[in-house]
Amino acid sequence: MRAGFGLLLMSMLLACTPESSRESAPTSETASSGILNIYTVNYPLAYMAQRIVGSTGDVSFPTPPDVDPATWSPGPETIIDYQQADLILLNGAGYAAWVANASLPRSRLVDTTAGIADRLIPIESSVTHSHGPTGDHSHSGTAFTTWLDLEIALEQARAVLDALVRARPEQEEEFRRAFATLEAELQDADAQLIAAARKLNNQPVLFSHPVYQYFARRYELNGYAVHWEPDELPEDALWVQLKAVLREHPAKIMIWESDPLPETRQRLLKLGIESVVLQPGGNKPPEGDLLDLFRAGISAIEGATKI
Amino acid sequence: MKGIFYLAWRYLAYNRWKTSILVGSIMLIIYLPVGLNVVVEESGEHLMARAEATPLLVGAKGSPLELVLNSLYFSLETPELMDYAAATSIIESGLAEPIPLYVRFRSREQPIVGTSIEYFGFRDLQLASGRMPALLGECVLGAAAAETLGVTVGDSVVSSPETAFDLAGIYPLKMSVVGVLAPNFTPDDDAIFIDVKTAWVIEGLGHGHQDLARPEAAAAVLRRSKDGIVANASVVQFNQITESNIDTFHFHGDLGGYPLTAVVAVPNDQKSGVILMGRYVDGEARNQIIRPNDVVDDLLDTILTIQQFIVAAVIIVAIATIATAALVFLLSLRLRRSEIETIGKIGGGRWHVASMLLTEIIIVLILSSSLALGLTVLTWRYGSTIIERFVLS
Repeated sequence: MRAGFGLLLMSMLLACTPESSRESAPTSETASSGILNIYTVNYPLAYMAQRIVGSTGDVSFPTPPDVDPATWSPGPETIIDYQQADLILLNGAGYAAWVANASLPRSRLVDTTAGIADRLIPIESSVTHSHGPTGDHSHSGTAFTTWLDLEIALEQARAVLDALVRARPEQEEEFRRAFATLEAELQDADAQLIAAARKLNNQPVLFSHPVYQYFARRYELNGYAVHWEPDELPEDALWVQLKAVLREHPAKIMIWESDPLPETRQRLLKLGIESVVLQPGGNKPPEGDLLDLFRAGISAIEGATKI
Repeated sequence: MKGIFYLAWRYLAYNRWKTSILVGSIMLIIYLPVGLNVVVEESGEHLMARAEATPLLVGAKGSPLELVLNSLYFSLETPELMDYAAATSIIESGLAEPIPLYVRFRSREQPIVGTSIEYFGFRDLQLASGRMPALLGECVLGAAAAETLGVTVGDSVVSSPETAFDLAGIYPLKMSVVGVLAPNFTPDDDAIFIDVKTAWVIEGLGHGHQDLARPEAAAAVLRRSKDGIVANASVVQFNQITESNIDTFHFHGDLGGYPLTAVVAVPNDQKSGVILMGRYVDGEARNQIIRPNDVVDDLLDTILTIQQFIVAAVIIVAIATIATAALVFLLSLRLRRSEIETIGKIGGGRWHVASMLLTEIIIVLILSSSLALGLTVLTWRYGSTIIERFVLS
């Protein structure tokens, strides 16, 4: 009876609202027919979803071209579009940090790396700070270019498949058929990458950017990541640092996210380093698709190992 | 007959104070049980409508009534808190769609409802202007809340500290109003809706602050080491989330341990609902699952019992009032002896006198009933405003 009189008053208050309630019986059913509206946070997931869902789904990846989806933040209008989606495919591993601060329908979010959390690579060197009642805490991160390990990419595709089957159980067979084809192609590319990496015979390689953690781990590359931009000529200090790195890590190959400037390529060649491009493919390439990017990367690595 | 009515009316009009008291007393006797019945019936309908529209409610073990009142009607009493992980486990079960609720904070008198975007579709809430919240720090107001606070799209509202002396606790957060909902004629009209993560920012579980690695934060830094930076409480925390500082906002630890007041579970079908309920039967479970329908039903039973007590009291008072009124009439006959004799002398018989007295009684009863009917209609139409203005304020 704690609420006693208050309850009576509240019930009286509610009772005296003149118009009748417009609420209708709730339903959790999303439209069980029609085109599935799918939004993704990067191109690899959009590619996988489109391959599996085919013409029965509308896959949207609204990041503008030439922007890294990992660091891009959509405006409110784009987030509203995400809110309307039947499924929102997330990469997980801290990719697309904007998701953490956006109002998205929790029940329609699909973290494609949730099932392989133990295989994610933590990033060290974070700032720890302490203030207020919560004590010490740090802003640690996780390497997020997960799909460059094609085994993980396959797991992500499987997570996409599971989400699609949950959304459209009646199309399960169709989805599984499409997934089987994608699975075979990813496994083929994975085998080719393993073979190409084996030819490197554990010789040191350089990565132009610290985005190849999963790639290096999966294909057992003896890699070291610098922080160079392909469209910028590295400053003298960076060359000095590189020479210091080369003393410990005598690499003959540097793997780039995209074609470096010709001057950079030439100067690296003078140091005996061949530039090889393996585009991570976070954003949609102007031509081809994700597997084309991998195939081009495999060819480039194989080419470099022949030199 | 016209003459009898005229005499009766003139008598009542001449003794206006006596007549008014009689009419008022009889009017109250008629109005109280009828009005109370209207209130209880209407309240029952409205309470049940919202409860029936909310299939299942998951919350920490405690008072089911408190849980329902807080989750459905945004009452001041905060139920026991539960973990956000409960919402995640409902998603993982695939049996229902969970809608988290964190109803703890207020902006002045308006409840701040931390929830997810699914809530608006679930309650069929439509926008009157603006858009739905998309980012941390944005809010959408119910129609009545916007009117009470005098704000519209583009303005901002500030959360209120939980207590006036909460100097070291929860900082007020200034939130941008991005939308106003169309009237829904439910408690949603009075609420301020934010994403549940914004509610956690209000509580201080998520925060944005100046970059401790930058020189301007030097005064707040206690020590720097290879492992990190330790700052004191003077580090500047943002009390408004803007486009320029939103990227600095972050949450520490596992969100699964963050608090909620309840989770509305919308089962896929009846069978899923039953299976889901079965998962909370375990006596050691930290959470409970309830059908708001059942709880409100119990509440209405309690209210009906109270109503029956009140009606019984009113009946006793009615008997006393009728006895008093009868006494007044009998006594007035004595006082009116000369008047009655005068009527006889000018040719009026016993029948005329009796008719006149009866007409007086009928007029009093008609006036009382009309007023009682008017009051009942007013109660039905404006009761909420009257109670809100004069009782709840």
